[in-house]
Amino acid sequence: MDFLLQSVLNGILAGCIYALFAMGLTLIYGVLNFVNFAHGELIMWGAYFLYLFMEKPFGLPIPLALPPALFLTILLGMGTDQFVFKPLRTANRLTLLIAALGLSFFLRNGAQFFWGAEIRTYGFEIKRGMRFLGVSITLNQIAIILTSILCILFLYLLFHRSRMGKSMRAVSDNLELARVVGIDTKRTIRIAWIIAALLAGVGGILLALDTNLQPGMGLINLVKAFAATLLGGVGNLWGAFWGGILIGLAENLGVLIISPGYKDAIAFGIMVLMLLIRPAVLFGSEESS
Amino acid sequence: MRKLTCLIIFLGILVHVSISTGSAQETYRIGAAFALSGSIAVYGEGFKKAVDLAVEEINAAGGIKGKKIEIMYEDNKSTSKDCVTAVRKLITVDKVPVIFGPAASSNFMAAAPVAQESKVVMISAEGAAPALTKAGEYIFRVFPSDVLQGKGISDLCVRLNYKEVPIMYVNNDWGLGLKNVFVENFKKAGGKVTDEIPYDEGKTDYRTELIRATKGNPPATVNLTYIKEGAVMFKQAYEMGIKTQWICGSAAKAPKLVELAGKAVEGIIGTYPVFSQETKEIKAFKAAWKKKYGDAKIPIFGEYNYDMVFVTAKAIEKGGYTSEGIRKALFEVAKGYRGVTGDKTFDQDRGVGSEYGVWTVKDGQIVDYK
Repeated sequence: MDFLLQSVLNGILAGCIYALFAMGLTLIYGVLNFVNFAHGELIMWGAYFLYLFMEKPFGLPIPLALPPALFLTILLGMGTDQFVFKPLRTANRLTLLIAALGLSFFLRNGAQFFWGAEIRTYGFEIKRGMRFLGVSITLNQIAIILTSILCILFLYLLFHRSRMGKSMRAVSDNLELARVVGIDTKRTIRIAWIIAALLAGVGGILLALDTNLQPGMGLINLVKAFAATLLGGVGNLWGAFWGGILIGLAENLGVLIISPGYKDAIAFGIMVLMLLIRPAVLFGSEESS
Repeated sequence: MRKLTCLIIFLGILVHVSISTGSAQETYRIGAAFALSGSIAVYGEGFKKAVDLAVEEINAAGGIKGKKIEIMYEDNKSTSKDCVTAVRKLITVDKVPVIFGPAASSNFMAAAPVAQESKVVMISAEGAAPALTKAGEYIFRVFPSDVLQGKGISDLCVRLNYKEVPIMYVNNDWGLGLKNVFVENFKKAGGKVTDEIPYDEGKTDYRTELIRATKGNPPATVNLTYIKEGAVMFKQAYEMGIKTQWICGSAAKAPKLVELAGKAVEGIIGTYPVFSQETKEIKAFKAAWKKKYGDAKIPIFGEYNYDMVFVTAKAIEKGGYTSEGIRKALFEVAKGYRGVTGDKTFDQDRGVGSEYGVWTVKDGQIVDYK
C-alpha cells in the first residue's frame, strides 16, 4: 500500500469528522457566543439514538432508523437550550462554560446509565476496503467525506444566500440590535440549534459506523474539533471546515515522523498556540464579538 | 418503631461481636474482603465457593494443629471505597492477622496500603497488575503478574520463528511495563524490534498508527492491547487490507473482542497464563468441587483462591497465628509447593510465576492455538 497517500487519506477522514463537529460548535458560538462543551455528548447521543432504533424492540433497518434518531438528537439539542442555556442567556461566559461542562457530564453519565459503559457496534459485517492507487477506502469512509462536503455546501448556501442565514449573522453580531430591527431572534436561535444538533447527530452516526459506540466517543473528538474551531477562527464555518481537515492531516502525517504516543500533542499544540495568539475566544472580550 | 429496630440491630451486632470474639480461642480466623454484592459480585460468589471448599477440606483433615479455620467474610460491595472499609473492619474489629484481598487490581490496590500500615498480611488470588504488591512486604499474590507475559509473548515469537517484529502498545503503565519486558526478552533471544508504537487508550482512529507499525509488511506484529482498542484497531487494519500475524497478550482474550470486531480478529493469537489440567492436584480439586457443589463448572480463578487458602493454612501452621509469623512463613511453605495452579513459590516481589498458553480466534470462537 502507498504509505504516504494512505496517511493523507486517513488525515482527511479524521479531518472530516473533526470538521463536522467543529461546524456545529462554531455555529452555536457564532449565534450565542459561547463554547458548547456539551456538543460532544450530542454527537454521542446521536449515535446511540440510531443504536436504539436498530436494536430490539424496534429492530429497524438503517434507512428507517435514521430519521427518528436524528429527530431525537435535534430534540435533545433544543432541550439542552431550553432547559440549560436559555435561562442563562444573559449570564457571563464563565457561567455558560461551566453549565456546558456540567451538562456534558450529565449527558455522558446518562448514556452510561441506559446503555452501560461497554462498547457496542451497529453489528454490520466488516468489509475489506476498495483499492485505488494503492490506497484502501471503505464505502463508509466515502460516505464520511461526501457528507462533510455536502454539509459545508448546505451551510454555505444557508448562511450566505438565504434570509435565515442573514438573520443568524445579524443575531451573532448583536442580539439586541437584531431584535430591534425586527429579526425573530428566538426563531433564529432555534434554527441554529437544529442545524448544530443535526450536524452532531450525522457526525456521531458516521463516526460510530466507522468505529464503535461508547459514552466517551464525543468527548475525545470534541477537543480536536475545538482546536479546529480555533484554528479556523471561531464563528467562521469555512474556517471550522478547513481547520478540521488541517488538524486531521497534521496529526496523521506528523505520526510518520514523531512517535504516535504524541499524536494528540499535535492537535493540542495547535490549540494552545491559537489560544496564546487569540485568547479572547474562551472567555470573551469586547474585541472578539 | 425505627428506634426499636435500630436498637435490635445494634444489640444483634453486639451479640454477634461477642460471640465471634468468644469463639476466637477455638479457631484460626482469616479475613476475606470479597465482592459479595455490586458490579463484580458474580465473581465474588465463585471465589467464596472455592475458599469454602478448601476450608472444609483442611478442617476435615484436622485443621491446623487441631484447630479449625474460620473465614470472616466481609462484603466489599465491588467498590474501592468499600474495600478499604471492609479491610479496615477486618483488621480493627475482627483483628485477623491475614486477609484474602478483594478482586480487581484497582480495588485490591486501594485497600493494600491499609493492610500494610497495620502490618496485616493480605493476599490476592486474581490481581494481575504489575504494581499490585508494591504497597509493601505484607502484600502477596498467588496469581501471576502481567509482567511475566512479556516473556511469554517473546517466547511465542521465537517459537513461531518471527525474528523481526514491530510492537504496538497501550501507552500506560501496563502497556509500557509489558512492552519493556518483551523488548528485553526478545532482544536476548536474538530477535529485533523494528519499531515501537505507543498509542492512547480510548481513541476511535488508529489508522495511522497501524500503517506506521506495518510499514514494510512485517509477517508478524505484536500488539499489547485491551478489548476496546483492539476491536477498533483490528477492524481498521482489516479494512485497510493490512496482512500481518497479530500477536497479543491475555488482556484482549475475550469473547467481546470477537463480538465487536468479527472476522477482522479471525486468526489472531495471544498468550495467557495457564496451568496443567493433568496434574493429580487439579483432578482431585475437580472431583472435590463436583462432590460439594454438584456442578463440574469451576468459576474463573476458583483454582487460585483454593490454592491461596492452602498456602495460608500452611503458613499459619509453620509461622504461628501472627501476621509477622505468617508473612515470614509464606515464603518457606510456598517454596516448591505444587498447588492446583502449579508452582506457588514466591519471588522477591511476593508474586508467583506461571506458564503461558496460546489462544487464537477460530470461526468466531476463542480456542487454544495448536
